[in-house]
Amino acid sequence: MRKVRLALALTLGAALSGCVETRQYADVQFTPPQGDYKLLVLRPDVTVGSITTGGMVEPRADWTDQARAGIVAALRAQQAERGGHVQIIEHRNELAGVTPDELADVERLNAAVDESIVIHKYLGDYLPTKRGRGLDWTVGDGAIQLGRKTGYDYALFLHAEDQVASTGRVVLGVLGAAGCIVGFCAPNIGGATQLDYASLVDLKTGEVVWFNVVRAGSQVPGIKFGDLRTPQGAAQMVERLLGRMKPGLAIRRAQAAH
Amino acid sequence: MCARCLELSRRSLLVGGGIGVAALATGTAQARIRPADMVPLIGPGFRPTDKDEQGLWKEMERAEEEIAGSNLLIQDPELTGYLKNIIGTVGGPAARDFRIYLAHIPDFNAMMFPSGFAVVFTGLLLRMRNEAQLAGVIAHESGHFLRRHQIRSWRDQRRKSDIFAIGAMMAGVGGAGAGVYLGDYVQLAQLGTLLSLFQYSREMEAEADAMGARLIADAGYAPVEMANIWEQLIGEEEASARYRRKRRRRGGLFDTHPSEGSRMVDLRADAAEVTVPGRAYNACRERYLTTIGSIRPMLLDDQVKLNDPGASQYLIETLARDGWNGLLRFYEGEVWRLRNRHGDDLRAAQSYAAAVVYPDAPADAFRWHGISLMKEGRGPEAKAAFARYLTMKPDAPDAAWVRQMMG
Repeated sequence: MRKVRLALALTLGAALSGCVETRQYADVQFTPPQGDYKLLVLRPDVTVGSITTGGMVEPRADWTDQARAGIVAALRAQQAERGGHVQIIEHRNELAGVTPDELADVERLNAAVDESIVIHKYLGDYLPTKRGRGLDWTVGDGAIQLGRKTGYDYALFLHAEDQVASTGRVVLGVLGAAGCIVGFCAPNIGGATQLDYASLVDLKTGEVVWFNVVRAGSQVPGIKFGDLRTPQGAAQMVERLLGRMKPGLAIRRAQAAH
Repeated sequence: MCARCLELSRRSLLVGGGIGVAALATGTAQARIRPADMVPLIGPGFRPTDKDEQGLWKEMERAEEEIAGSNLLIQDPELTGYLKNIIGTVGGPAARDFRIYLAHIPDFNAMMFPSGFAVVFTGLLLRMRNEAQLAGVIAHESGHFLRRHQIRSWRDQRRKSDIFAIGAMMAGVGGAGAGVYLGDYVQLAQLGTLLSLFQYSREMEAEADAMGARLIADAGYAPVEMANIWEQLIGEEEASARYRRKRRRRGGLFDTHPSEGSRMVDLRADAAEVTVPGRAYNACRERYLTTIGSIRPMLLDDQVKLNDPGASQYLIETLARDGWNGLLRFYEGEVWRLRNRHGDDLRAAQSYAAAVVYPDAPADAFRWHGISLMKEGRGPEAKAAFARYLTMKPDAPDAAWVRQMMG
């Protein structure tokens, strides 16, 4: 009996260890876009896969397409509500006035900048030179040129990956949990995980003005934290990622002073 | 008592496992795959219909867009058209479906992606001595696609990791239920799974070699040239290792590819098998050299700057087996000059002096020949070499300095 109670406690504990976590950073002078603004969303990078029994991730084309459609729809609805005009492009040749190569340059540079933000803001490798300066990164002239040529105010880069535990993986997790009764406890073999991040670039200054990462996951297969394949899950993700944009430090201080 | 018998069985298990691993190790030299057995598994215009393969192709869409737009690619239409022609000749049923990109990377490599696009590195173009060799490598890559290797190895990995995960969990739970520790078995099973994955990968490479030999022979290229590639690569690696006073790495259990030696031997046998008596086979050396002529200086320049003098020297000497010329002599000199060991300045000077005799000597050969002569105190001759350099390259960035040297 004591063993069973212990097993339950462990399983519950492990279930609770899975969670949704988000952390955003903004330029000190950042005010969330509101009213009549023009937003360009560059090639949202969405992948949905299935975790096999053995723990490999199998990409799924149909699920990825469903998720992408859901995210695009949710994004349009959300931005329209805020008053923004949004264009979402899927390929580099879809943007009038900009060659695919120019766009590729901005995208690649942004990817490198994003990587640097993740290293120095999220993974613990903090830079003393950037302490207290909010988000202090820029994509530079390329982004300004892009804004000048297209007339957009902001560019949004979005990445979303979702891994759904397959039936086999869930069964393996159940087996691991059942093992707790006999003393071999392995319920937390890793289940569904979602990783999303977005960066917003001000195309007038070239600066990355806002960055957010959402991580949702469960150590126990079978427990879900939002499923990108469904319209609700996609809308929930867009809301978690872009819903509550906080203004920058200086703006918040000014607001508090009033 | 029971602890004792468990101890015994655990020891016997490890001994048995050791023997098993040793058996696998000797098994790295697996039986040759016959080209005749290598039939393409797909037809023209193949599109995936299974969910897992569709997923793989979907991921590749973005990868291909990224690669096709990469600034590392060489876009020269003559060269890319040439590669496209070759894959169109040796690509079997999928010949018209392939895409091929040339990346400016000075390494011996080429790869095929799951959705049918190939990337060839410029380092490959430097090493190939004729079109048949290049066609052999491209045919090998086509073989991966035609034999559906990517999805087959993915499924193999998925199946083996599934079996291992279930087995490990069963061993844990079952063992705990029965009060026995089975961790050793689990570890051994893990090693076994891992080794069988590498074994499977080597088998795919052997299949692609056999398929490639068949494809190039059908297209009329001399099939033995594929075996020659490996002979050259072994020589290059030995030369590179010797210079660094190391030994060349031999094949091991954790290799994804069969050892170069076994590939060479198998390919020789393949070549004999696919050769039809009385049929003429070509290496097409002239056409190859003419086509890559425009980038050959760049290829050699990339190589000598890799700081691998052993390999560079071997490569230049191998290419020179088809005849020395000004370009090869100049880069031979560059290998010595950049190596800069005792006496290398004299070796370099000799190479530059030999280079300038050929009509195709590059301008830089005259520049370095001039500098070497200057060091030897042969001013007037140096001046002539510098003058020649400036005529060949009037807007050289160092023209002012060279004029000053001329006095």
